[in-house]
Amino acid sequence: MKKFNAVHGKKHGFFGLGKLKPYIKNYKFLFVSMIVCTVLSSIVNTVLPLFQKYAIDNFIGGGTLDGLGIFAAVYAAFIAVCTVFDFFGGYNCCLIEMYLLRDMRSTAFNHLQTLSVDYFNVNGVGKIHARVMSDTSAVSSVVAWDTFSGVANMVYVIGAIAVMFALDALLTLCVLAIVPVTALVSVYFERKQTKLNRSVREINSRITGAFNEGITGVATTKTLAAEEKLDKDFFVRTDEMRKRSNRLGHTRSLLWAIIYFFSSVALALVLWYGGIITIEGAIKIGTLSVFMTYAQGLIEPVQWAVDAVSDLISVKVNLERFSALTETESGVADTPEVLEKYGDAFNEKRENWEALKGDVEFDNVTFRYPDGEENVLEHFNLKVPRGTNVAIVGATGAGKSTLVNLVCRFYEPTEGRILIDGRDARERSVQWLHSNIGYVLQTPHLFSGTIRENLLYGKPSATDGELWAALKRVNADKVVEKTDKGLDTVVGEGGNTLSTGEKQLLSFARAILADPAVFILDEATSSIDTLSERAIQDAVEKLMEGRTSFVIAHRLSTIRSADVILVVDDGKIVESGKHSELLKKRGCYYNLYVRQFREELMNKS
Amino acid sequence: MNEVYARRELKGAGILSYLLKGSIFLFSAGIIASLFVTLFNLLVPEVISFTIDCVIGNKPVPEVYARFVEALGGTEYLRQNTWALAVSLAVIALLCAVLNYLRQYLNIRANQTFMRRTRNKLFAHIQRLPLDWHNAHSTGDIIQRCTSDADTISNFISMQLVTLFRVIILIVCSLVFMFMKNVRLALIASAFIPLFLGYSLMFYAKARKSFKKCDEEEGVLSKIAQENFTGVRVVRAFGKERYERDKFEKQNKYYTGLWTGIEKYLALFWASNDFLALVQGLLLIVIGTIFCVNGELSEGDLVAFISYNTMLMGPVRQLGRIISNMSKAGVSLARIGEILNAAPEEYGEEGGLSGDIEFRNVSFGYEEGKRVLENVSFTVPQGGILGIVGVTGSGKSTVTKLLGGLFHADGGEILIGGRNIKDISPATLRKNMGLMLQEGYIYSRTVGENIALAADGASSDGIVGAAQLACVDENIRGFANGYDTVVGERGVTLSGGQKQRIALARTLLRNTPYIVLDDCLSAVDAETDAEIRTNLKEKFGDATVIIISHRISTVMDADNIIVLEDGKVAESGTHAALMSADGLYAKIYGMQTALPDELTGEA
Repeated sequence: MKKFNAVHGKKHGFFGLGKLKPYIKNYKFLFVSMIVCTVLSSIVNTVLPLFQKYAIDNFIGGGTLDGLGIFAAVYAAFIAVCTVFDFFGGYNCCLIEMYLLRDMRSTAFNHLQTLSVDYFNVNGVGKIHARVMSDTSAVSSVVAWDTFSGVANMVYVIGAIAVMFALDALLTLCVLAIVPVTALVSVYFERKQTKLNRSVREINSRITGAFNEGITGVATTKTLAAEEKLDKDFFVRTDEMRKRSNRLGHTRSLLWAIIYFFSSVALALVLWYGGIITIEGAIKIGTLSVFMTYAQGLIEPVQWAVDAVSDLISVKVNLERFSALTETESGVADTPEVLEKYGDAFNEKRENWEALKGDVEFDNVTFRYPDGEENVLEHFNLKVPRGTNVAIVGATGAGKSTLVNLVCRFYEPTEGRILIDGRDARERSVQWLHSNIGYVLQTPHLFSGTIRENLLYGKPSATDGELWAALKRVNADKVVEKTDKGLDTVVGEGGNTLSTGEKQLLSFARAILADPAVFILDEATSSIDTLSERAIQDAVEKLMEGRTSFVIAHRLSTIRSADVILVVDDGKIVESGKHSELLKKRGCYYNLYVRQFREELMNKS
Repeated sequence: MNEVYARRELKGAGILSYLLKGSIFLFSAGIIASLFVTLFNLLVPEVISFTIDCVIGNKPVPEVYARFVEALGGTEYLRQNTWALAVSLAVIALLCAVLNYLRQYLNIRANQTFMRRTRNKLFAHIQRLPLDWHNAHSTGDIIQRCTSDADTISNFISMQLVTLFRVIILIVCSLVFMFMKNVRLALIASAFIPLFLGYSLMFYAKARKSFKKCDEEEGVLSKIAQENFTGVRVVRAFGKERYERDKFEKQNKYYTGLWTGIEKYLALFWASNDFLALVQGLLLIVIGTIFCVNGELSEGDLVAFISYNTMLMGPVRQLGRIISNMSKAGVSLARIGEILNAAPEEYGEEGGLSGDIEFRNVSFGYEEGKRVLENVSFTVPQGGILGIVGVTGSGKSTVTKLLGGLFHADGGEILIGGRNIKDISPATLRKNMGLMLQEGYIYSRTVGENIALAADGASSDGIVGAAQLACVDENIRGFANGYDTVVGERGVTLSGGQKQRIALARTLLRNTPYIVLDDCLSAVDAETDAEIRTNLKEKFGDATVIIISHRISTVMDADNIIVLEDGKVAESGTHAALMSADGLYAKIYGMQTALPDELTGEA
């Protein structure tokens, strides 16, 4: 692993930052101007103590005020210059940070639009979201600010050393003596701190978990009278948290105390040797005061360097996660030829798109999920002529979505092919297929925004008249009329609270607006109010009319009227056929159907 | 942590002092250490100015430390041996280092002690708040208060408040030293303090709105991403990638523009702040030089004065930000206070309980005007078994919650052994009442611990025995680590049936004189259901039992069965009696054994 890292590091330069080249390239000018401004302002900053020396040696030492006016004017000019450069350096740094952040986020987000659905399933929405939002933010902030402070600190160190050497070489060595010591101490402590930090974060997330558990499980805890036991467990965690944090605090305090001590030792060295040579008359008092200022000033850059290294170590992880995302290739990618003809997700060539008629065929399909170990389909054949209604039934978690995932090209078959209108699905673009498929989920997903915006998702060019017609067809017009702002009612998170059934109806309207040739529906199992139930059933029937449809079915009416029923158990298709044929078998379907029947009876009463 | 919290209203600083109990001493020790650090730090320029003036120069030794200089051997000796001055500086530095360590470490330790107390109090308090309170607050909100609000307060105390003390000490001490050196110069230097303070306070007050706006807009951006990722199937299915890209890009640009707009002012603020500090430095050097040349000030004093000023300016420039952050902490404190001020249940003493369970015209609703139970009456004689059936929403589960004292009846009364349930302490009630809730919570710990949680000092035999009764022992042994398998997040996920049976085992392990099982087998298959029912019959023994289910088969063996419909008792009697009555019970039974029309002919 270590070896791999080394090679890895070499390939992408300093802490893997080479990967950022394409992003930084766009802001060359900003980077250069930030660096130039910072260098200039730091140079001015570094030489400012010389004014103090001049004042002490010249005016005070000489006992004269002649030229003090000019001195003050020059001093003020330096300050003004410093401020101007300071402003532009800082401002450019802010700009770089924000622009890098913006570009990285856009790149990540856009890339995600081209990845297949399984990427989201495997990685989890929470993690992906963190990569797009937080990892990018950590990287851009470190790149911008550490470059900025790095330049400033480096210039200060180099400038201070140059000035000191020019004044007195031996005395300079007194000041620099502490640098290697401080660096060594810092590196030693930094390692310890990284480890301790991780252990503190870990216990902290366990405490948050315990809070969550204590709150969501409160009724059970009360009935079991287990409050004290949970308290005890919780107190063990907070004790551990305290212990670990104290250990971390000890290391951190010790590091700082040592660094401050060394900076004072440098000062003492300057006082000792500087005192001697001042008394001997080798240097003036003003020079001595400059050395003292630098002796104290050098500690900050050393500290910065230590912090910067730990920043870079932690940001390396963020950067790796980010580039892993942007380098992931879609599991469902179109060939260059297909892209050439049909266009990609952002540039569709609709003029070359054929109409989709709706014949679907599984031709000797074998399929295994990318993260799975066994085939869930083996040499599976199924012809679905246009207009056929296919119902897929089975227990929860039996794998009913597999077929639907393949038809939608959310996944590609491991072997064999899926024919759409007689041609391999891969001969046409994913985009072409998707824009011809209507898809309604069990838990309807509405975007935050108005009802109109959500409906237009199905057909961007639709007029209000068309929207209302679509709403009426699926009985959703009453839902919209009931709201106070009609089509302009805000829905989704934080918006008007529609019931699941009402959202379902709206998502039907959205699907019907798209007028797809193939329709896919994941029926809701429950949680839909009986009022909506009837409306939804009607809507479903309307949607399926004349279209090829695949329904993950829970409702008896849908199941009974299907042209083909596929029964899935343990990820495999165990029975298939028409309703009456399957009932006669007295097998899996029979049991499922009877149970479903009784549940529906109970729920209706 | 057995203490039952005395009811008293805590307000603002009251909450703070309540939470600070136990850590206030450490915090104070840290502040005192920081006082000494500051004092010793101020000695350093003193040594330097003395060296410049009296050792290198020929000024007379100031009276304050004439004695000390004599002890070291006099200025002449020091002139020959400047190392002695260096050593004394190093000694001061060492003292400073030790004190610095103490200051920081004591502060961290104090903060950790404070946080432990805060977290423990919150956790224990939340456990004991009535369910009404929990229903009125969302989990996310409570967690937010326990974590980020607590962190805000901890940051406020350990960083801001302590820094504030330190800054004040530093300002006062530096000013004293500066005024001692030269009053007029000190006046000029300190004239800048209100300027810095006012400037940054004004800036942060103005910027706060813009910062908030930025945060909100980043929230919008984050939400667009979130919705895109959760709705990925919809996006793909409608082929809306381009639309989504444009939406994200638009907001991303807007947000970036907003920030860069503010940052221009931010950079301007920093630069002008720096400028002001540099101008102050310039004034001090120029005017100080004039004073020196006029003989009003020694050059050593000037160097020392500039050192003091450098020490002073850092904290002064922080002060504005600290003060403007204080309002944030106040909000967090109030949010935590709201939790700690909510009245917990009064648990009372634990005791024994026996006798019949009786519901007398019990009425209850979770919301005003919406009755879930209405005039429900029934009796379960001690040692008897009552079955309650009804369809979803008939009020079955509410009976369980009332019996656990989680809620209290609005009308009528519930009696146990003739005592009103309201007069029985929750501690006694729950110790004697083995309740299994419909959606029992499975804790994220091992399976064994989940079961053991129910009883004090449960033996492993007892745990396995209970699991066997609930027919889940075999399943558990099938897990990779058996009873030590961790459930939840990073552990195994349990099926609905497994969860129910583990919850059942947990309830049975408690050996309580009363047992109430709410829909305990709904997710268990028919075969196992029957086996568990046989086991239960043996296990119940002398216990008084209520079994609630929507499945007739689960309750049909009970001594008495009541049928709930819309919160009212529709029928009651034994299975046989209810079946022959041909009412709702029989109808439900019919439904649960019915066959679809197309099959009835064949059957």
